[in-house]
Amino acid sequence: MFHNNCKLRLIILFFLLFPLLSGCWDSQEIEQRATVLAIGIDVVDSKAPKEDEISHLKNQFPIPNEQMIKLTAQIAIPGRIPLGPEQTGGAEKPVLVMEVVGHTLDDAILNLQQELADKLFLGHLRIIVLNEKIAKRGTQRFNDFLKRNPEIRRTASLVVSKEPAAKYMKLSPELERVPSLYLADMVDNLTALGKFPPSFIGLFWAILSSKGQDPILPYLALKKGSNIQLNGFAYFHGDRMVGKTSPSEIGVYMSIIGIKKGGYGAFTKIPGKEEMVLVRAVSRNTKIKVRIKDGNPHVDIKVRYESEIDEKYSPTISLLKSKMIRDIDKQASKDTAKSIRDLIKKTQKTKSDIFGFGEHFRAKLPSYWNGKIKTKENWDRFYKDLTFDVHVETNIHRVGMKAK
Amino acid sequence: MGDPKEITTLQTSTILISTIIGVGVLPLPLFAVRAGDTGAPLVTLSGIALAAIGLFIITVLGMRHPEKTIITYSQEILGKWMGRFCSLFVIFFFLILTGLASREFGEVVVSAVLRETPLEVTVIVMLLLACLSCRNNINVFSYIHNFYVPMILAPAMIVVVLSLKNANVLYLRPLIGTNFYDMFTGMLTISALFQGTFIITMIIPSMKTPNKALKASFWGISISGGLYLLLVIATVAVFGPEEIKQIFWPTLELARTTTVPGNILQRLDVIFLAVWVTAVFTTLFSSYFFTIHSIKEICHLKDHKMLSYFILPFVFILAMVPKDILQLYEVIQYVGRAGLLITIFYPGSLLLIDFIKGWRKKKSVSQQL
Repeated sequence: MFHNNCKLRLIILFFLLFPLLSGCWDSQEIEQRATVLAIGIDVVDSKAPKEDEISHLKNQFPIPNEQMIKLTAQIAIPGRIPLGPEQTGGAEKPVLVMEVVGHTLDDAILNLQQELADKLFLGHLRIIVLNEKIAKRGTQRFNDFLKRNPEIRRTASLVVSKEPAAKYMKLSPELERVPSLYLADMVDNLTALGKFPPSFIGLFWAILSSKGQDPILPYLALKKGSNIQLNGFAYFHGDRMVGKTSPSEIGVYMSIIGIKKGGYGAFTKIPGKEEMVLVRAVSRNTKIKVRIKDGNPHVDIKVRYESEIDEKYSPTISLLKSKMIRDIDKQASKDTAKSIRDLIKKTQKTKSDIFGFGEHFRAKLPSYWNGKIKTKENWDRFYKDLTFDVHVETNIHRVGMKAK
Repeated sequence: MGDPKEITTLQTSTILISTIIGVGVLPLPLFAVRAGDTGAPLVTLSGIALAAIGLFIITVLGMRHPEKTIITYSQEILGKWMGRFCSLFVIFFFLILTGLASREFGEVVVSAVLRETPLEVTVIVMLLLACLSCRNNINVFSYIHNFYVPMILAPAMIVVVLSLKNANVLYLRPLIGTNFYDMFTGMLTISALFQGTFIITMIIPSMKTPNKALKASFWGISISGGLYLLLVIATVAVFGPEEIKQIFWPTLELARTTTVPGNILQRLDVIFLAVWVTAVFTTLFSSYFFTIHSIKEICHLKDHKMLSYFILPFVFILAMVPKDILQLYEVIQYVGRAGLLITIFYPGSLLLIDFIKGWRKKKSVSQQL
């Protein structure tokens, strides 16, 4: 009797637990979801299409002062994304590009959903492209939605584009069938090659929140055909983009913040001659010391380069003596120090401490920081008049396989 | 207890470890950073130290009464009715703790993973699991904990190690926070995350060698406390204090930011959540177990199996009381800190009275001689 009872209980238990544990509420077939791979955000032109009443009724919603945004999304078409090794051929486009407008990011996404039969899924969002104009108006209005939404990956990339972001969504690069994957890989791989410091949206947020540092983002520009170029970096003051640099300044920036892996080369003049050699940084080591000099914050930056000579420009000179290499060492150090100073001065004009010197002061001189600075706004003022010394040391160890 | 005394010292440690590591792992860095900014690791360390003191007290009490639990020896120390009265508070507190932990679990699941699944379902499934497992005796209880500990510890360590790639050491300095009052309350909040250690009072009577209980609790709190400390250090170093203040569950976010090299897994939160569900289960299991066994002892019941079902609706209702996640965390921090009175102050005074009683007895014995 008791035994039977036990069995009965087991049966009831299984019937109860299986539906409960399988979590059927959230089950969703993969072909029924609209997987967003990339998002581009632009400002809406003056003759903007009117928004329908989807997330708010007319006149019943305090319209935000900011201009409306145009969101271009790249959505994967189920079955057309090549899996595994790249298959050649296949003329069909693997993605669908859609455009909507909205007052905020979520508003735009709700509007987008209204035009789609499948449920939007943001879990595979790899890259968000912000147009320069929208980045200059501030990114904070997008961060809230992105941080709240559990589907968004913190490892997704955020980039600033020179051209309208919508153009990037419509690109069809030759190297990869899925355009957004190419875009995202471009940012990731350039980091691996030492062409850009690590950059993903989580890092951008962390730096944006910190009191003594301003973020940067990769700045992309379109070249002929559907080629994309890393055209420097966009630097921010708070959440607003305030300027951009040239690509070679990325290398300078990386040397200041102390990224070990070098990737950029620079032409260096051989002292005493009118000839150039290309010196490429292999690795670098940066030490930043902060102190108070005459009551004002002061930074000492020491960079040690390990470099190699990649190419010499003219056949008339020969690199035979080690003395000559030492001269090139000195010249390269001098050039780099100058470009470091120039870059810092450039950012001081816009009060954007992208190097995180403020963080060094906060961490290493807490009594000074708490007494005099304490907030981000105060640090901006201090940063503007920050004094600094730059020492660069270059060591060229290798000249390649050519003896002359 | 009627069960054979089979629990080894190692099993005691593992029970403590898996009981401590639970739902609190997720908001832990947030609590620590709110209290101490960059001093978060220090706040955590002091919280662990305070919890260790509490555990030490309860273990010594247990070793002085190796056949009894806090429910029974409190009646001996304070007198029958006073002891029972105090035990009621203990039981009620653990009932609330169980409810809040299951609710916190449900809240995380609903907002981060299964967004369509009703909150009630996730909560009741978890409670049902704990409830069913509690019908077993204490030996099975210890086996279950023993079995899960490696699965809880290893992936958490992996997340910590891999995340250090994105770490920025500057975020950890200065080591001391600015506001000492905040740091103190933060210490209490973090110490409250260790309240599950109370379970040791239920284990000591079933231990093979109760004398080694102190050793077991030392290892238990060192390993779990060490993991907590590492998690705080890793999250603060990766996100920085200011960013952590904006996230509910920094540890989960840490797992989401961390990738396994070689593009095997682009985010680790899948592994981490699976582990975390197990960790929550073992924690709930312990507090549920503690509650029903305490009730069994206070009422002198022979069997706890039916009681296990009987308690379920009460825990569930308690879990559903907070209105939303913000209120939930206010309640958790408040209850946690108030609970320190029960988990540290109460055993502390019991131990004091017990010492005085023992000392008097000795004195009177020596006088008689």
